Amino acid sequence: MLARSCLRSTRAIASARNGAVKITKRAASSSSSGSAADSPLRMNIAAVAATTVAAGSIAWYYHLYGPTAHAMTPAEEGLHAPKYPWVHEQFFKTFDHQALRRGFQVYREVCASCHSLSRVPYRALVGTILTSDEAKALAEENEYDTEPNDQGEIEKRPGKLADYLPSPYPNDEAARFSNNGALPPDLSLIVKARHGGCNYIFSLLTGYPDEPPAGAQVGDGLNFNPYFPGTGIAMARVLYEGLVDYEDETPATTSQMAKDVVEFLNWAAEPELDDRKRMGMKVLVVTSVMFALSVWVKRYKWAWVKSRKIVYDPPKSGNSRH
Amino acid sequence: MGIWDTLTDLIEAATPWTTAEAEASVAQEEQAKETTETKEEPEAEEAAAKEEDAEEEEEEEEEEEDEEDLVDPKETFEEECRQSKQCAPVKHHFDECVDRVTNATEDSTKEDCVEEFFHLAHCATQCAAPKLWSVLK
Repeated sequence: MLARSCLRSTRAIASARNGAVKITKRAASSSSSGSAADSPLRMNIAAVAATTVAAGSIAWYYHLYGPTAHAMTPAEEGLHAPKYPWVHEQFFKTFDHQALRRGFQVYREVCASCHSLSRVPYRALVGTILTSDEAKALAEENEYDTEPNDQGEIEKRPGKLADYLPSPYPNDEAARFSNNGALPPDLSLIVKARHGGCNYIFSLLTGYPDEPPAGAQVGDGLNFNPYFPGTGIAMARVLYEGLVDYEDETPATTSQMAKDVVEFLNWAAEPELDDRKRMGMKVLVVTSVMFALSVWVKRYKWAWVKSRKIVYDPPKSGNSRH
Repeated sequence: MGIWDTLTDLIEAATPWTTAEAEASVAQEEQAKETTETKEEPEAEEAAAKEEDAEEEEEEEEEEEDEEDLVDPKETFEEECRQSKQCAPVKHHFDECVDRVTNATEDSTKEDCVEEFFHLAHCATQCAAPKLWSVLK
């Protein structure tokens, strides 16, 4: 509409300019006839004014709200982790359970000295990461409180499959005290609990630079890590080449260990992921079967409609009267 | 083997999918043990002992070599990416910033190169990410 009116206005101006030569073709064809010299201008004032107001309002809006104000500096925000092609994030792939096994080994040998994994029981490891015998043996390495006996005393017993993985510290205060005031977070749900999930944790573990960039302020007892919001993280770099001896003889490079442990932590946060994907697949299978069935049923039900024939049998011309 | 076992075996053979067992069933394990024990007792033990010795020596050598040779692929890829043409502009900015900050007189500026470092790291990791995953297991 706007474009058309614009076009018409230029045409009208041209015709007005050529008014001296008396080309009346436009005036004759256009409906708004009459005095061709002044009326188009007056007519277009409203359109021009409306357009100016529209353009002006957009400009005003961008003047007010266009530039975004960042409350935080990039350093405070932390570097955003790149997206890695995790195999378990694909729709039709499960966790790599060999990687989970390696990741659990890394957790047990490296992370477990500071970080708890309090929501994961030994029984959850059976069949996904360990065999039941391995899990039982692992559980029996730790002692747990029994129920009170006849005299009300609480004794110790070796762990069993129903027990949860032991925490390195009895409580948060003890954890803070041993870690220079910093609390190592529980890792059970850490992948869900951090913005960026797996990518963030992988980048955090592998992203410690050899030395902080020039001029960067690193607080007392802190380490520089670009991915951690604020860049000062209490956890030092822990993963170094050859820290863990993998039982399947995978070369234990830093990024390999980080990848495995992150995949393991993702499993710890959502152990139901594999089942959920299988359920999703079942839903797809059932709905596609139902859809196919419905197509066939529709064809069956509509068969008489589709196959009927409407015939117009005109009366014989000889008998008709018009 | 009853008639039921035969039937299930036939069905298993006919079905297009397979079932994966995490652990061998107890009966099978025992059978396997029995057969190995009865058949190859003296020979097997000797052979095993020899093999173990050989393997241990080899493993020790390998371990020593491995620990020296292990290089993080992430580091190498990111270093390549940092030097690549793709990241040349951000690297140029970072280097310039480092020069400026290190050569600056004290108290004159409180500039840091964190932002430039972020841009460089972002470029390098983005470029290295797919390569890294093709190498890692």
